[in-house]
Amino acid sequence: MSLVSGPGRGGASAGGHVPDELKLVVEKHVEYIQSLDTRQDELEYWLTEHLRLNGVYWGLTALHLLGHPDALSRLATIDFILSCQHENGGFGAAPGHDAHMLYTVSAVQILGTVDALEELDRRGKAGTEKVGKYIADLQNQETGSFAGDQWGETDTRFLYGALNALSLLHMLRLVNVSKAVTHIQACANFDGGYGVSPGAESHAGQIFTCVAALAIAGRLDLVDKDRLGGWLSERQVPNGGLNGRPEKVEDVCYSWWVGSSLAMIDRLHWINGDKLAQFILRCQDPDKGGIADRPGDMVDVFHTHFGIAGLSLIGFPGLIAVDPIYCMPREVTKRLLGKLNT
Amino acid sequence: MGKYSDSDEWVDVVPIPQDDGGPNPLAAIAYTEEYSEAMSYLRAAMAKNEKSDRALKLTEEIIRMNPAHYTVWLYRADMLFSLQKDLLEELEWLNTVALKHTKNFQIWHHRQVVMSHIPTLPPRETAFLALMFAKDAKNYHVWSYRQWLVRHFSLWDSELPYIESLLQIDVRNNSAWNHRWFVVFARHTDSKKHSIKNGDADSDVPLEIIEREVEYTKAAISTAPQNQSPWNYLRGVLRKKGIGLVELKGFAEQYADLEKEDEVRSSHALDFLADVYAAEEHKERSGKALELLARRYDPIRKNYWDYRRSLLALDQVSA
Repeated sequence: MSLVSGPGRGGASAGGHVPDELKLVVEKHVEYIQSLDTRQDELEYWLTEHLRLNGVYWGLTALHLLGHPDALSRLATIDFILSCQHENGGFGAAPGHDAHMLYTVSAVQILGTVDALEELDRRGKAGTEKVGKYIADLQNQETGSFAGDQWGETDTRFLYGALNALSLLHMLRLVNVSKAVTHIQACANFDGGYGVSPGAESHAGQIFTCVAALAIAGRLDLVDKDRLGGWLSERQVPNGGLNGRPEKVEDVCYSWWVGSSLAMIDRLHWINGDKLAQFILRCQDPDKGGIADRPGDMVDVFHTHFGIAGLSLIGFPGLIAVDPIYCMPREVTKRLLGKLNT
Repeated sequence: MGKYSDSDEWVDVVPIPQDDGGPNPLAAIAYTEEYSEAMSYLRAAMAKNEKSDRALKLTEEIIRMNPAHYTVWLYRADMLFSLQKDLLEELEWLNTVALKHTKNFQIWHHRQVVMSHIPTLPPRETAFLALMFAKDAKNYHVWSYRQWLVRHFSLWDSELPYIESLLQIDVRNNSAWNHRWFVVFARHTDSKKHSIKNGDADSDVPLEIIEREVEYTKAAISTAPQNQSPWNYLRGVLRKKGIGLVELKGFAEQYADLEKEDEVRSSHALDFLADVYAAEEHKERSGKALELLARRYDPIRKNYWDYRRSLLALDQVSA
């Protein structure tokens, strides 16, 4: 999956005319994501190699939410994912890249989405148990936090990723969940939000990781929902878009980080969904597909994914429902978590 | 043919090309030549875990082209320590990379790894961070690093004047407000090993510190009343000591007078007063403030303000 940006720009249309009623150009987005693999002759394709596995997750999940789950070859996807695995169970961003938490989580999510987790035991370089152990070993026994790799960088993103993947694998027993919860509480701030580490500024992306980790741990009771919901809803700016911190510029990706956090604490209706949908649709390239961070900027697969996920979250017609905790199709997480009856 | 294949220095190394992931790859080979060649020598050097000056230089070249390649940083840090390189020189080099790639976060983790091997704060460190903030005063990675630095070298006392200079330039800088909170309160919270959450009440904080913070924040609000950060900060400071918002009713009413609907200067003051009036059991006044927010001063969040109003009505037996 290429992470090359462009060629189109959000809102670009011959003559620059923006129609009154904006539509989601589903077919164009599907073609845009499919086209990304043909763009390997550009330097940017290779300079973004360290994100390749994330890129597959973004593209694939967007296609599933668009209702086109078969638009990428399932077999080629599985082959690529397995080629990124190491013998210690972890996955790198691309073949030959070191194993890292983030790509290991994406690998589990992707294999789960295409219903191929059993391939780990069948032909992975390491089986499911080792994948779980790789993730679990990155927990700091003293603080409960998680590192991204042996380099030791810690970030609430890694903690969330660990709980995400381990719960999908039914292996949460491998980690100390209550210590992880204690660490998240230490990242809570006076304004109701959460930061990357204790004391760090509240940031919508980190809030998503902390709230979703608490949701997986079954501890949303620890969240001051009204205070956090108030802060999150204040992220919406008059044009309908959302920013990640006070006085910062709006960006399509926060449609997801802010929206999913609000959804998890049952306060998504505190923002104006219609205005948000209009903002996201204005960031589309209606001719060549893809979504940009803001109208007028280059489209890319990251913003395409989070824009579509944001639209799905607010119940935009025609999209498959997304799970706000896992950022995967709800049907997929139900299947994987064994909650088919709910 | 290439920079490395033509060099005597690398003549003993057989480069390892990219493994494209099997017979049916989503990823295939089309690197631009310079990057591609450097990467193949990196793979070869890493495969035999070579620790040498030439490999260090190679990582420098690759980072220059692509600082987000996380594998390279790890390898470089390993080499720096085992070759016992001058770490201050490494910082100087990192400065140039950080200034060029301001959104990159691997740079800051590497800096932290390097800095934790240096016994005392290098004299040029704060000046360099100031330069970074001059480019982007809200850079999240730089702020996180600065918090680590403050804790690591115990720099608590010298931070406030610097924060105040940043807020003087931009009183809306939420990162600086957060850092102020960190410097004023985290030294108390840290020592208690998380038994008290960052935002929770803590009776051990001296009253004169609370008073100083309230006065500073009031002054900041007076320069720009429609600014979310200091209003949040003010609420946090009061909560820290268990002081009711009612204490600042007169202050907030300067910016929002319910009798003069057209002259509200701050939606945050209205929000604040809605809580003040509710605490005073003046539910009608509180409801009016919330109604003004929903209808006029912050209509995009109408559902939020309506929810706040419904909380008032719940208390009333007959509304």
